[in-house]
Amino acid sequence: MKAVILDGILLGLAFGLLGVGLTLVYGLGGVLNLAHGAFVVVAAMVTSHFISAGQPTALAAAIGVLAGAGAGVAVDLTLMQPVYRQRGEHRTLLGLLLTLGLAFVIEGLLNWRNPSGALYIDVSGNPVHILGVAESAGSLWASAIALATGAVLVAFLAGTTFGRAVRSVIQDETGARLIGISPARVRTVIFALSGGLAGLVAITRAMTAPVTINVGFDLTIFALIVAVVGGLGSVGGAFLAGILLGIVNTVSAYYIGQYITTIVLLGAAALTILIRPRGLLGR
Amino acid sequence: MRGLAAGYFGKQVVHGIDFDVRTGEAVAIIGSNGAGKTTLFRAVAGLLTPMQGRVTLGGKDMTRRPAHRVARAGVAYVPAERHLFPGMTVKTNLVLGAYPHRPDHETLELVLELFAPLKARIHRRAETLSGGEQQMLAVGRALMSKPQLLMLDEPTTGLAPKLAKAAFVALDGLKQKGMTLLVAEQQVPLALSVADRGYVLENGRIRLQGTPAELEQNPEVRRAYLGVA
Repeated sequence: MKAVILDGILLGLAFGLLGVGLTLVYGLGGVLNLAHGAFVVVAAMVTSHFISAGQPTALAAAIGVLAGAGAGVAVDLTLMQPVYRQRGEHRTLLGLLLTLGLAFVIEGLLNWRNPSGALYIDVSGNPVHILGVAESAGSLWASAIALATGAVLVAFLAGTTFGRAVRSVIQDETGARLIGISPARVRTVIFALSGGLAGLVAITRAMTAPVTINVGFDLTIFALIVAVVGGLGSVGGAFLAGILLGIVNTVSAYYIGQYITTIVLLGAAALTILIRPRGLLGR
Repeated sequence: MRGLAAGYFGKQVVHGIDFDVRTGEAVAIIGSNGAGKTTLFRAVAGLLTPMQGRVTLGGKDMTRRPAHRVARAGVAYVPAERHLFPGMTVKTNLVLGAYPHRPDHETLELVLELFAPLKARIHRRAETLSGGEQQMLAVGRALMSKPQLLMLDEPTTGLAPKLAKAAFVALDGLKQKGMTLLVAEQQVPLALSVADRGYVLENGRIRLQGTPAELEQNPEVRRAYLGVA
């Protein structure tokens, strides 16, 4: 049981890292980026390309993360511009449609040009025992990166002037404009951050399992579940929801069976939303 | 402001308005609900793009500048809905008021001195404050940027009569300190109590203007806004 819970927490940190990129963009601009998983795949392919070209893994990974950030900026400055001109439901709907289209285009292009693309990062090292449970080095590295990223994000949002500006746009966009904050600029920076976070998901995921070109939509769906359960716009919520859902996932996989985990996850998410429509830490 | 016209979705609400505020002056815009006060303010603050006319601040053209650039140029607008950051503390709301700069200590102290009730609630979230305290916080946040012009839309919204009066006493204090004020208010006696000059707005046009004494003597103002036959 201890091992199952610990596995769940490690998986949950990965879920949190996945959900946080989606939740930030939604909180700021009201756009649910259905191409978030596709960003992960793009970053993975870029990293894999540079590793094949003989670059050191760390450098290739950094380039992959930057590629994710670049994809975020590009989408924000082009595809999202008509979306931001809309308000309310129209914005959400147009954002869903355009990012869904983008996800299809990215997956289609990769299927055509690079069908066998995959990123796997081999983390050498013996399994490490934590509380008497053996965990693979790759999984621990991935979790440590996710945890550190979450901590840095929280510190950034709470403790820096720009971070406070980000939160102000999430809480009241008009109020933010009235004190001299440009929501457009904040959104671009956060889209870049979100893309970079997708890149980190690619790197950390590749430490435990190959990231292939067709995992994009699955990742987007998991990111959506995590973000909604955590409360859209809440960084802490995404990680809390990630960990809870990670535990739900491994417990149900262990005691019932792998085949049922997605259903149980969706059930847990639906239940949370029924009891608490704003999500765990949403407002 | 010269020949300013603005509205929503192509429907013009205010028409060809000319008015000006001089440094150190307090100007009241009075008018009933729907007269166009808020539309006018939103156009000046850049939240609404004017259809015609010009807005200038100290000789610089502000027309069609987005709201955040108008704010950085020194115009602080406190709308009736306040637009505070509900989940942040009083302190963070105030600190953000100085954005993009770090707030200097003196300004923060000054604001907390002016609005003493905020001092006791400095670590409370804005959403937990009463209506009067939220109004103080909204004005305090606006002051943190050390604006050249402070625009207040219906600062007495949702306040009990006693608090409304206190709000205008505080505004008078700001004026004495040299702040330039532009206040829209339905409660005409209160507005005229701090103003050097007033404009009466009706159906999106300026109907009358003058000093408080002149306006108070005007039979139309007396009948329509002061409740005197």
